Amino acid sequence: MSASVGSDRATLEHDLLAELSAVHRFALHLARDAARAEDLVQETFLKAWTHRNQFQLGTSCRAWLFTICRNAFLKGEARTTRETPTEDAELEALGAAALHGSVQATDPTGAVFEREELDTAVQEALAKLHEEYRTAVVLVDIEDQSYAAAAGILGVPLGTVRSRLFRGRRLLQQDLLAYAQDAGLLPVMKEPTQ
Amino acid sequence: MISCREVMERLWDYLDGELPPEATLQFADHISACKRCFPQYQFEFAYLEALARQRQRLPGPSDALVQRLRAILST
Repeated sequence: MSASVGSDRATLEHDLLAELSAVHRFALHLARDAARAEDLVQETFLKAWTHRNQFQLGTSCRAWLFTICRNAFLKGEARTTRETPTEDAELEALGAAALHGSVQATDPTGAVFEREELDTAVQEALAKLHEEYRTAVVLVDIEDQSYAAAAGILGVPLGTVRSRLFRGRRLLQQDLLAYAQDAGLLPVMKEPTQ
Repeated sequence: MISCREVMERLWDYLDGELPPEATLQFADHISACKRCFPQYQFEFAYLEALARQRQRLPGPSDALVQRLRAILST
């Protein structure tokens, strides 16, 4: 083995391990089960290492690992149903504005979202989202990926990511506001607009 | 001049930093001066912050997993 090859190998090994926490979080959100998530992470790293010559230097190692991880997850899932994502992201954004309108009198600036009591509810509401919406929300909102990067990871057009993201956000927000209301964190509000 | 409806439709794009530079400036000007859109902006900002906070809320990988991965990467 030449010094250069050994150096590249050591660099990639370091880069892969540096992404472990992010890949583990992503796998937890996909699998919604700790043991399954660890299996998924192991499978992801095994595939990445086996096919390390396919990784293009200068590209995002994290995005590459997310792609492998999601493909491994989908392969293990019986995908008999597929949600038809809305094509109208603007409609989802307007739906969110209507949700805000329903709580504007009691919480105009979203102070409820700053309460740590809401964190468990966020995790539970996320887990209930359909996988396509959940993955878009996790990639953009939790893993801080751009729309373009998320589109690359998911292998779909940018507009599809945006539609899934906006729908996921609106469904999640609706769920969280209902939870906050039930938990007494928000005064009872009017029926939210669907 | 952009309308309140345009801001409502594209507020998430603005918060995500996905608008072109010129539109970003127009949105910033409108939102800072609009009594209707500013609370909506604050509300959605707080919501997205709550989602981003979840990055710190999940358990990390187990020591056993880390050891298994190190073994894989040493092959």
